[in-house]
Amino acid sequence: MWPGTWRKLLAALNPVSGAALRAVKWLHCPAGKRDTIFALSSGHGKCGVAVVRTSGPASGAALRSLTGQQELPRPRAVALRRIHDPSSAETLDRGLVIWFPGPHSFTGEDCSELHVHGGPAVVGGVLQALGRLPGLRPADPGEFTKRAFQNGKLGLTEVEGLGDLIHAETEAQRRQALRQMEGELGQLYQRWSEELTKALAHVEAFIDFSEDDNLEEGVLAQVDAAVRTLEEEVSGHLQDGRRGERLRGGVHVVIAGPTNAGKSSLLNLLCQRPAAIVSPIAGTTRDVVESALNIGGYPVVLSDTAGLRETQDVVEREGVSRARERLQRADVVLAVLAAVDVDPEPRRFADALRAVLPPGPPAQRAPCILVLNKADLLEEGCGGALLGACGEGALPPTCLLSCKTGEGVDSLLSLLGTQLEQMCGDPLAGSPSLTQARHRLHLTSCLGSLGRYHGYKSLDLVLAAEELRLARRHLGKITGRVSAEEILDIVFRDFCVGK
Amino acid sequence: MFLLRRRALPPAPLPWRRRARSDGTAPRWDVVVIGGGHAGTEAAAAAARSGVRTLLVTHKADTIGQMSCNPSFGGIGKGHLMREVDALDGLCARICDQSGVHYKVLNRCKGPAVWGLRAQIDRKLYKENMQKEILNTPLLTVHEASVEDLLLMEPEPDRPGKCQVSGVILGDGSRVHAGSVILTTGTFLRGVVFIGLKTHPAGRLGDQPSIGLAQTLEKLGFAVGRLKTGTPPRLAKDSIDFSVLERHMADNPPVPFSFLSEAVWIKPEDQLSCYRTLTNAKVEQIIHDSLHLNNHVRETTRGPRYCPSLESKVLRFPNRIHQLWLEPEGLDSNVIYPQGMSMTLPPELQEQVIACIHGLEKAKMMQPGYGVQYDFLDPRQLSASLESRLVQRLFFAGQINGTTGYEEAAAQGVIAGINAGLRVGGKPPFIISRTEGYIGVLIDDLTTLGTNEPYRMFTSRVEFRMSLRPDNADSRLTLRGFEEAGCVSQQRYAQASQMKAAIEEAIAVLKSLQFTATKWSRLVPEAPISTNRSSLASALDILQYPEVTMELLARAIPEPLRKFAECRELAERLKIEAVYEWHVASQQQEIEEVRRDEALQLPEDLDYFAIDASLSQEVREKLDSNRPQTIGAVSRIPGITPAAIVNLLRFVKTNRQRTEHIEHSRTGRPLPEGNMLGKSKFQNSSLSCAS
Repeated sequence: MWPGTWRKLLAALNPVSGAALRAVKWLHCPAGKRDTIFALSSGHGKCGVAVVRTSGPASGAALRSLTGQQELPRPRAVALRRIHDPSSAETLDRGLVIWFPGPHSFTGEDCSELHVHGGPAVVGGVLQALGRLPGLRPADPGEFTKRAFQNGKLGLTEVEGLGDLIHAETEAQRRQALRQMEGELGQLYQRWSEELTKALAHVEAFIDFSEDDNLEEGVLAQVDAAVRTLEEEVSGHLQDGRRGERLRGGVHVVIAGPTNAGKSSLLNLLCQRPAAIVSPIAGTTRDVVESALNIGGYPVVLSDTAGLRETQDVVEREGVSRARERLQRADVVLAVLAAVDVDPEPRRFADALRAVLPPGPPAQRAPCILVLNKADLLEEGCGGALLGACGEGALPPTCLLSCKTGEGVDSLLSLLGTQLEQMCGDPLAGSPSLTQARHRLHLTSCLGSLGRYHGYKSLDLVLAAEELRLARRHLGKITGRVSAEEILDIVFRDFCVGK
Repeated sequence: MFLLRRRALPPAPLPWRRRARSDGTAPRWDVVVIGGGHAGTEAAAAAARSGVRTLLVTHKADTIGQMSCNPSFGGIGKGHLMREVDALDGLCARICDQSGVHYKVLNRCKGPAVWGLRAQIDRKLYKENMQKEILNTPLLTVHEASVEDLLLMEPEPDRPGKCQVSGVILGDGSRVHAGSVILTTGTFLRGVVFIGLKTHPAGRLGDQPSIGLAQTLEKLGFAVGRLKTGTPPRLAKDSIDFSVLERHMADNPPVPFSFLSEAVWIKPEDQLSCYRTLTNAKVEQIIHDSLHLNNHVRETTRGPRYCPSLESKVLRFPNRIHQLWLEPEGLDSNVIYPQGMSMTLPPELQEQVIACIHGLEKAKMMQPGYGVQYDFLDPRQLSASLESRLVQRLFFAGQINGTTGYEEAAAQGVIAGINAGLRVGGKPPFIISRTEGYIGVLIDDLTTLGTNEPYRMFTSRVEFRMSLRPDNADSRLTLRGFEEAGCVSQQRYAQASQMKAAIEEAIAVLKSLQFTATKWSRLVPEAPISTNRSSLASALDILQYPEVTMELLARAIPEPLRKFAECRELAERLKIEAVYEWHVASQQQEIEEVRRDEALQLPEDLDYFAIDASLSQEVREKLDSNRPQTIGAVSRIPGITPAAIVNLLRFVKTNRQRTEHIEHSRTGRPLPEGNMLGKSKFQNSSLSCAS
């Protein structure tokens, strides 16, 4: 009896129309007001001043309770306030507070900033106090940026620049990120975008307005020239030696050399911590050991590799093959040799060095710095002679040091710094660099399409135009889309068409 | 009531007629079309073809099929539209094949995707042939009357709209009831003619503007804009010195417009020629000196940028020479249409301009050029079926939607006619997507973006230009038109299906024939095949070379290719398929992406000012006025930031997931893909929480 009733009930329920059901669902939609987020936005670790930021509708209330004042400070003006924990009324710090009412704030929402002293106790206290307020929660990584993006405060390139800024760990990275956010890279891409759009518009005009129309002679020749110029500029930009990407991800510096030359000791010395195990036994390092560090403001990923030698040991052989693989991908190679083992005779010296470097002609090889270690074991006066010999034989820049005593490290760091500056450039000068592999990808595709344009031109103008459309679309992935109407605007601006 | 067709008014009641109507005695039709221009004729014929009783109401039955402006059809983009109209069994392409006097394919050297079929048409023949066609269309009746007002009644629930149309009131006060009404009144809404400083209200010269209807539409709350256009003076053929002008011959053989036409009606050698002449500094001087006498040009109303008046050409691009084309108006007509000479100067100054042009020194002006300003309805008030969202069952097509051109009008007419008929039968609308045809691009642009100048079709508006070609319009649309709209004849359907199958078979065979480059260069020495290539090449690859044709391939490999080369049309179409094959295939993913975006439908009555998504006021206003029907359409609205799309998308996705989740838990069935997203009427609590 009961199951039958159930079936009837179900049958009665089923025919409810989709529209009615959906209307019901709308009633269940929660208002979904946004949380207010907060985070320490000035980076972790010891620092003089720490900045804590909030964003969201409860920002104002939070600021009121932490400062204990009913009045919010004047918008966008710095005010000195006593900051206390609202639950205990205990004073946490005296600091600067700034109130940014939405929508004229970084995220487009109500925002506030608290600039407090950088001690862990103070910062921890402020964060805990915020976390106890209703409607506030710690921000997810990148959430401030995401909100800014969702509220239309940032374009795509700007967001990427900002992302870099958040992750900028070194001065050079920060400067580049700032520059991108201020739109220099955006401006460069924008200019290309305009030129490409114009070229495309002229080809479209040539297609849409036929022989009978009054298109000026030589439209296509002009487009060809414009496309070629663009190709040159884009490929020049792409061939800037991966500058921007390097800067963003860190320059890969690989330490290589024969076993027991002191490679791991060098890594530990440069990192100022025992990152790799060192021992007098040849073949101690069998895998690649990586460490990130900051040299002269440039981010560096330093890798220590297994000593290069023929070996029967399966594990060590794998280590050597990994070492060689890493060498292939290195941006800079630190070739380490034990000074005591080096034969000052230039030819043999060069042979010993060649065994360490990745194969291939020097022009295609990553730049190299020759490090002669174990200077402390050399006899008095030998070091000068050795360095003199190196200077004669057209060898890479060389430095003599001792990992044991730390002597000569400064000269290595200065050589490395010069090298990094050459490779990454001063981020404040020259063409703004690529900061994203994504950009590189789209620019490469764009360049490919521009190249094919020339090939198709004589075969079928529609296919040629399609390549320009594709090129435009790839660039548009960086700078934003262009609508058909904008293309037509250019057509009618530049040509008197239509019969 | 003056009926051109002596036919009893159809009495058979269709289901919708059973509903109570205000007046039981008045005649009833499924579809009533107002206007007999290019949109009206196509709409009426399409509705009738799809099997519903249709009445075409026009001021003057004699003006049906009149070409009110230029004596030509087609062109680049426009020819594409005609092929698509023809693929849906529309009229204009076939009528043009029976009435042209000069056929020419434009863009022959630029790739078959943008070939533009075009023809000079004999006005008289076109009108005669069109009237014959209309009067012989089964289920279609023509009635000569003016329409003064619309009959309105309570709206159907669950659909947007403040009321629904149930018929029209004619000039004599009589009522005509209808299941759907299509308005194709062109420039007649508050049309004003300008010649020099003189203006007078009218549609086309000599016709009366529809004031009553315009007022009703305004009262209903339709947003209206104003546009302008113009037409050149007409010249007497026998007063022109053609011997000094550049002659342009027609194609031999002429290429017909319609998939059904083997050839056009005229003998190739009987075709007429066009002639070209040029403007000069004197023309420019007269125009500059007389601007104070030219009201139309000084007005701020938007005119077309691509078919500008001579005055605006001179003003915008000074110190240049502009082309003028002298086009015949018909075989036995003494009228010449000077394309490019549209003017609104006072007539005596027009004569001065004409007299200083090479070859026209002694030309007699038979009728002055003039300008027209008219109201158009903001097409963003229409859904993709061309039904208005404000008044249910009321459809709009043609120039009234802000377009220019016979072909644009015809294309909308077919779609409105089909959908008005489907609406009566309670069937889902017939929508052509941007990925399927130029018609889809036209209607999506209009209904999503609106327009602020007379909208004309260009191939550059079309994202998927390589797939949407004139040669394959039948494969794209005829089958759908037959199966979903019922507007295509059995004969055409069979022909298109056979062709489609033959192409598919041939392409499969061409792909399967794979040889080394060395063998290919021996088989087809005409093709510059690089023998360096190591991989095998298919016959389809070889067919891409400009030097290679199906005939050549069939000579090299008679078995199995001969049978595909025998039919000339098939051979030509295969060649085109081969040229675009690679690009079309690589574009397929993008097409799918667009279709996915178009499948994300937005509720028609979404209240953009109330929804809880992070959208700026400006974006909300844009969304509200454009009323995009899909996320795909949102992405094409200018000024909508990527952030706004992401937010709207998130909102839509969340709501759909929620909808599907509840639907699923309720019925055990998920909603089908592309279903309408959640209803937006928060306030509609009468539907209360049954759960």
